[in-house]
Amino acid sequence: MIRRRLVIVGAGPAGLSAAIAAAEAGLDPMVIDENPRIGGQIYRQPPPALPPEGGPPLSSAARRGVDLLHRFHQLRARITVLTETGAWGLFPPRRLAVHATRGWDTIEAEQLILAPGAYEYVPPFPGWTLPGVMTPGAAQLMAKTMHVRPGQRVVVAGTGPFLLVVAEQLHRAGLAVLAVVETVRAVEAVAALPRLLGHLGLLGEGLGYLYRLRRAKIPILRGQVVTEARGDGEVREVVIAPCDRDWRPDSSRRRTVMADTLCVGYGFVPRTQLAQLAGCRMRFADELGGWVPEVDEDLETSVPGLRVAGDGGGVAGALVAQEEGTLAGLAAAHHLGRLDAAAFARARKPVLRRLRRLRRFRAGLDALSRVRGGLSALATAETIVCRCEELTRAEVETGLTFGGTDIRTLKVMTRLGMGPCQGCMCWPAAARWIAARTGRSSAEVGPLSVRPPLTPVSLGDLAREPGFADGPAAEVAP
Amino acid sequence: MSRAPEVIVVGGGVIGCAVTYELARRSVPVLLLDQSLPGRATSASAGGLWPLGEAVGLGCGVIYHAARTAADPAGNGKTHGPAPLPDAFRDFLVRSNALFPDLAAELRELAGLDVEFAPGAGLLFVIESEAERAFVEDVARSLPPALRLEVLTAEAVARLEPALRRDVAGGALLLGEYQVNPMLLAEGFKRAAIRLGASFRPNVRVTGLRRQGNRIAGVEAGGEFLPCGAVVNAAGSWAGRLAATAGLELPVFPVRGQIVLTETLPPTLKACLSTSACYLLQKAHGEVLIGSTTEHSGFDVSVTPEAIRSLCLGAVRAVPRLREVRVKRAWAGLRPGTPDELPILGPVAGLDGYFNATGGFRTGIVAAPLTGRVVAQWVRGESLCYPGEAFLMDRFRASVPV
Repeated sequence: MIRRRLVIVGAGPAGLSAAIAAAEAGLDPMVIDENPRIGGQIYRQPPPALPPEGGPPLSSAARRGVDLLHRFHQLRARITVLTETGAWGLFPPRRLAVHATRGWDTIEAEQLILAPGAYEYVPPFPGWTLPGVMTPGAAQLMAKTMHVRPGQRVVVAGTGPFLLVVAEQLHRAGLAVLAVVETVRAVEAVAALPRLLGHLGLLGEGLGYLYRLRRAKIPILRGQVVTEARGDGEVREVVIAPCDRDWRPDSSRRRTVMADTLCVGYGFVPRTQLAQLAGCRMRFADELGGWVPEVDEDLETSVPGLRVAGDGGGVAGALVAQEEGTLAGLAAAHHLGRLDAAAFARARKPVLRRLRRLRRFRAGLDALSRVRGGLSALATAETIVCRCEELTRAEVETGLTFGGTDIRTLKVMTRLGMGPCQGCMCWPAAARWIAARTGRSSAEVGPLSVRPPLTPVSLGDLAREPGFADGPAAEVAP
Repeated sequence: MSRAPEVIVVGGGVIGCAVTYELARRSVPVLLLDQSLPGRATSASAGGLWPLGEAVGLGCGVIYHAARTAADPAGNGKTHGPAPLPDAFRDFLVRSNALFPDLAAELRELAGLDVEFAPGAGLLFVIESEAERAFVEDVARSLPPALRLEVLTAEAVARLEPALRRDVAGGALLLGEYQVNPMLLAEGFKRAAIRLGASFRPNVRVTGLRRQGNRIAGVEAGGEFLPCGAVVNAAGSWAGRLAATAGLELPVFPVRGQIVLTETLPPTLKACLSTSACYLLQKAHGEVLIGSTTEHSGFDVSVTPEAIRSLCLGAVRAVPRLREVRVKRAWAGLRPGTPDELPILGPVAGLDGYFNATGGFRTGIVAAPLTGRVVAQWVRGESLCYPGEAFLMDRFRASVPV
């Protein structure tokens, strides 16, 4: 077992900011990330073998990423980074189990910051399992980091500002972006404007994306929803229909677009599995993407010494993630005796102020992008809803009819959520069906229980003696 | 509900569901109250139906025994297996196991579900040393003629279970020891009971039993008082806490077992395998289930990296091709343990209308069909189809010095 004073899981905006704040306070944090390169989904850099991204000057988001990575690298001497290292378990209270190709071990952390980020929410709809249907994040990863074009003709659909970001990146990567299909109607966007005006910088950033898409003649279809992807073995057509306030499609007015790629995502779901394994008390917050750990003002969960920062504690975007990471890093440093009360108070004050302002802006966005009930109507009886167990909606509905409206019974009866993804993909949508059918809230339906291992690891690997082949502080080149 | 139930069963694990089913079959107005708590043994169980294996110490108990012997090398090293359980209990389990084929058909018809009762090659205990062989031969000699244990050569073991590593010393095959899906079994009992008129209330916390002198008056559940003529305490590991509210000292305690499950595999194992490091069985949907630890750690349902590793190690040693296979999940459950490893069933002297149906420890699943019957017969005052005196709670009272 390895013992460290501060361990940070996740090297995205929140994790990097936490490491920077802690290292600046004199700590030597350890940062773990399952990806080969740091930066998280948003700031991850392409491997050095690939030429740098060409084209127009960096967007303000990309500039923030470069700046953050630069500050992180300046403190690298203090920070241990373990990349390609998955956290497969978290044993109470703060003992992390990690594995890599070079072995597995457990790390007992005096202070632990979880910054695992979020994953995209895709409710099942007919054709969503066809090759060529992917999340905007997956398309972004291919285009931006791997320099691979996911297709030729693409429709970007769902909700939220991330669609605009991805549409622009795909356009720059040379794809024909046929349309951005946004479920939120224009009138609602206008109505939300006053709250969004609270942060002119961010609003301006969003408008910048809109402007560039307009210049590229990419239409934004508001108040519309993709109801189906069609094709024989891969996507050929995307069906789009106007929808109402509740996002219920009007199929009588549907039309089809010829496309080979469909990027679809309706916002994000926090990755809370590690926090759940640690036994953190959870609460349901629709506006934050679902179940999140309860935290105090300094982001400490109900498990002492365990903090959650960034989208993993509630989806709020990269800027909030950075501020939260900084706050968590400062708080951990304070608890470990590196910052006295006065220095901590001084350092956290401006962070809290910025967070309050950002959260107001986010509240406006969140209200706008809140997932509505109409999406639950997209899946037909034959639509696969649990990809791991290949269950159709009809099979799940049968399980519900037979009284499987508590999670355990539904799992037993249908095997929903019994696959390798442990319900990450199917549960957010299934919980909404159950809630609708039983007249309960998603909060009452409850979260799915989580079991280790969270990442793929073989019996042979776990059978090995704990320890890394190249020593506990094994570092991988940045 | 239109009228007060005659019987309230507390606990919707496999035992509570089986008792409810047997009462409903007898047209008794019965209400099953359930609160799904983390660690429920039925949900955590492997679903092995190994009556003889567990009774003579060739099932899960052998792992615990091996671990304890290893941890205490100064101790008595000449026993190479746990002490066998009393014959009365062994025969109870064998009788209960024999009910499964008919029960599976019955539940398919009444509840419309398949409990995944899967006859395979049997339970194969893998002999890895001469000491283990001697233990197995002792066990074989002690069995009455009706119960058979086949001692196999290494070659016969390799033919029976090709996935097993080759350098074993032999095996002991227990025919007729198969497996079931424990959660579906409980669900099947429950649905069949509802079909036959039983009532069921999920997510109800039973906070106490109320007694009126020497009689049970009802239960306190979810903030209300539910009067009834009789209560069946089927609260598993939590049964002791419930009994205490009626002033009873019921010696049931949680015994944690950790389990590892692989991803779905093509048919790999024919038998349920038992070794001194772990047992392995392939479930109906292709996952291989690897169990299990025996730990006294209260109501803590955490898994531990050490136990996961030890189970993985045991599994890849026994079945080398599992090395590259992914672990899908690990979990822990709480077996309701008792001081003598026997269940605690039936009435209690001095409290009319109270019945125990708990203490299933390692054999709650295989014991469920007969336990349901015998407890229902006790509740109804019928003559018992199997003598149950050995399982009364009062056996512990006698041993307390006055």
